[in-house]
Amino acid sequence: MKQLTFVFALILGVVFSSTANKPSKDKEVKIKTSAVCEMCKERIEKNLTLSKGITEAVLNLEDKVVTVKYNPKKTDETQIRKVITDTGYDADNLQCSQTAHDKLPSCCQKTAESHAH
Amino acid sequence: MKTKIAVLFILITHCFLLTTLNAQRVTGTVYERNEAGKKSALVGVNVFWSGTSLATITDSVGKFNIARSAKSNVLVLSYIGFKTDSIKVTSESNFEIVMKPQGQLGEVIVRATSTQIDRLNPIQTEIITTKALAKAACCNLSESFETNASVSVSYSDAVTGAKQIQFLGLGGQYVQTNVENVPTIRGLASTFGMNYIPGTWIQSIDVAKGAGSVVNGYESLTGAINVELVKPDAREKMYFNAYVNHLGRGELNLNINRKLSEKWSTGFLTHVSTLQNRIDHNGDGFMDLPLYTQFNGINRWQYKSDKIMVQFGVKALAENRIGGQIGFYPSEHRGTAKFYGFGNQTNRIELFSKTAKLYQDQPYKGLGLILNASQHNTDSYFGFANYDGRQRTLYGNLIYQSIISNTNHQFKTGLSYLLDDYRETYKDSLMTRTESVPGAFFEYTFNHLEKFTLVAGLRADYNNLFGAFVTPRLHARWQLLEHTALRISAGRGQRTPNAFAENYGYLVSGRAVRFWGGRINPEVSWNYGISLTQTFHWFDKHWDVVVDYYRTNFQNQLIADTDHATPLASHLYFYNLKGKSYSNSFQVELNTLLSKRTEVKLAYRLFDVWQTMGQPANDVRLMQRMMIPRERILFNIGYTLPYDKWKADLTFQWNGKARINDPMKSLQATVDRKPMPILYSQSFININGQVSRAFKKFEVYLGGENLANFKQMNPIIHAEDPFSKYFDAGQTWGPVVGRVIYAGIRIKVKD
Repeated sequence: MKQLTFVFALILGVVFSSTANKPSKDKEVKIKTSAVCEMCKERIEKNLTLSKGITEAVLNLEDKVVTVKYNPKKTDETQIRKVITDTGYDADNLQCSQTAHDKLPSCCQKTAESHAH
Repeated sequence: MKTKIAVLFILITHCFLLTTLNAQRVTGTVYERNEAGKKSALVGVNVFWSGTSLATITDSVGKFNIARSAKSNVLVLSYIGFKTDSIKVTSESNFEIVMKPQGQLGEVIVRATSTQIDRLNPIQTEIITTKALAKAACCNLSESFETNASVSVSYSDAVTGAKQIQFLGLGGQYVQTNVENVPTIRGLASTFGMNYIPGTWIQSIDVAKGAGSVVNGYESLTGAINVELVKPDAREKMYFNAYVNHLGRGELNLNINRKLSEKWSTGFLTHVSTLQNRIDHNGDGFMDLPLYTQFNGINRWQYKSDKIMVQFGVKALAENRIGGQIGFYPSEHRGTAKFYGFGNQTNRIELFSKTAKLYQDQPYKGLGLILNASQHNTDSYFGFANYDGRQRTLYGNLIYQSIISNTNHQFKTGLSYLLDDYRETYKDSLMTRTESVPGAFFEYTFNHLEKFTLVAGLRADYNNLFGAFVTPRLHARWQLLEHTALRISAGRGQRTPNAFAENYGYLVSGRAVRFWGGRINPEVSWNYGISLTQTFHWFDKHWDVVVDYYRTNFQNQLIADTDHATPLASHLYFYNLKGKSYSNSFQVELNTLLSKRTEVKLAYRLFDVWQTMGQPANDVRLMQRMMIPRERILFNIGYTLPYDKWKADLTFQWNGKARINDPMKSLQATVDRKPMPILYSQSFININGQVSRAFKKFEVYLGGENLANFKQMNPIIHAEDPFSKYFDAGQTWGPVVGRVIYAGIRIKVKD
């Protein structure tokens, strides 16, 4: 029974420490991207969310601005922009990585955007 | 309104069309955020596949349920006053969408919950998604039900590693287990078949309770499980998984999908796993787990156009198992009394094809043909006893679907053919059986809005050995109130049992195996069920409750009787049921989302299962069915951050007592001229947990099974003298090994 309690405590600990860690100290930054569609949105949000120090990323396709919440101790805006350019998209005035951009499906590339508009 | 209703009917028709060929559906709930920031359901939102006429609207609680489209994977949501939204649908099948008023920011929350109740299906069906599968290591199908309340997996014996599911109080043989609607785990494959479907190959699992649809045959006595595999045109181009546990079990899985052209695609699903570490933690001199090596693969080709969809491919499997005493090496000790050994070599090959003709402007119409051929070879030894089996199967099912005057009245009809050729030898006796079963079926579905659905099916089959038989089935669903649905079902099922394959664990014993009385006849049962689904809001949270009761009455059943032992031998008798045999299954399940990120499930299950046994010993009594725990409680809590950055999951199971027996005590009772003793196992707790962390290109997971470290004491009776008459390794009701810690990595390459 002792073991059982221990295991319970351990797992609940893991669950809640991962929740409890993040609040308050987070900073927020808004970055304009060259996202085109839902797939782009998912790709950028996912790559940002899964990067070190970032807790949340929400991209609005209407104005292509991604709102990123991050822990300033673990990352900074330069690194966040680099994640976006490495994913194949422009970040504010930074150009996307050409190799990453060329690997995107044709519908997500910048040329697709210019056709659409 | 009329058009909306028409659209709805087209949807419902389409759902049924696709259930035949592909049970996959996409479900979801559409909300708006009100001024207080709370979500409220949006009713009547148009939901359709981009560029197709396949559409539906959300119901009174904002839910929708739409069949997957072959032409589009972009689901569009539109509603007056709101911004039109679109979601790209891949492997997820349940969505929660918050629509934004026009002019405001659009946001789509993709959150697939793990177990789903198929809301519109008149047959009570739970859908286990990839999300639920990722909650545990899910090395293979037998481990995929860990967080499911209806299906549990039992440990059949302490030597072979065979696993059987328990469903509605009965064994897995009474559930029709299909892979993409082709009956797969049946016949000789029922022994280890659950281990033959690696978890990484699985896209989703549908679990239907009660007598199933007649379209897939007559063998679903208590239910039907359908496994959908990863499709060749899936968005994931490559999926690699490596798993290892601290006992030394290792697994590698690699899926590769390639789109060759607009219409052609091909996929490879591969698996290799092994355990080569001899473990004996309980000190009984026997390996706690068998050593094994499995190679398993599928290659499938798919052609998809507007008019036709064709799939064909090949599956191949080779598996070797060695178990028994820790010092047993087959090359030196097989056939000797030095060490007791168990071995099995299974080779299986299967060819399959599916063809569907689509009618673009008549979505309610369809024609499908499924063809399948397989050969299964299994060679085993248990000490000095050899058991070899070979099964060859041909299966064909032709299904036509259309409507009678309008989409309120739909039907499916068709022809099927099954050829089963068995050749088995146990010790010196040879058993052969060739069954040839042509059949025809008709299933009528009546829809009245979304309020009432009735499915009435009838099939007639002719078995060359056992004669003609008729299989009626009936299912109905009423939406009694806005949040209340009632389902009932009734139906007959029939199957020919395979005594050795289904009672494999009992063969690891000193028991004398006898067929008593006449020829073993097909098992015939009637299953009746009732279930109630209620959703409600309480403490600002959305709750789901499902209560169900199922009863299975057997007219004939294969009884495996291990209760008796005499000074001459301990027995394993097989005979036909004479008298009553029934199973009652009652289950309550509660699901809720504690927060956006925390999902909770609590379930209680009661099995009351009795069989008339004891014919060979002239001691006929109604006895509780062996190895079925009467009660079970399941609790699961899961926590997920967006994009699965962190995921944590904990499952707690309490398993009640099951009836077991002990040949030594049976012998004692015989000597003392007392009635056979009724023995019970202990109840026990099983806790599993897993934590996973996703990175951009891969995901790692760390988990533990049986964290409470419960072990069955003495799982092998008379382990010290395995060649004696009273040795028995088939009385395993709990874990043999203690806590298991595992870790693994999943790498997915999309687009």
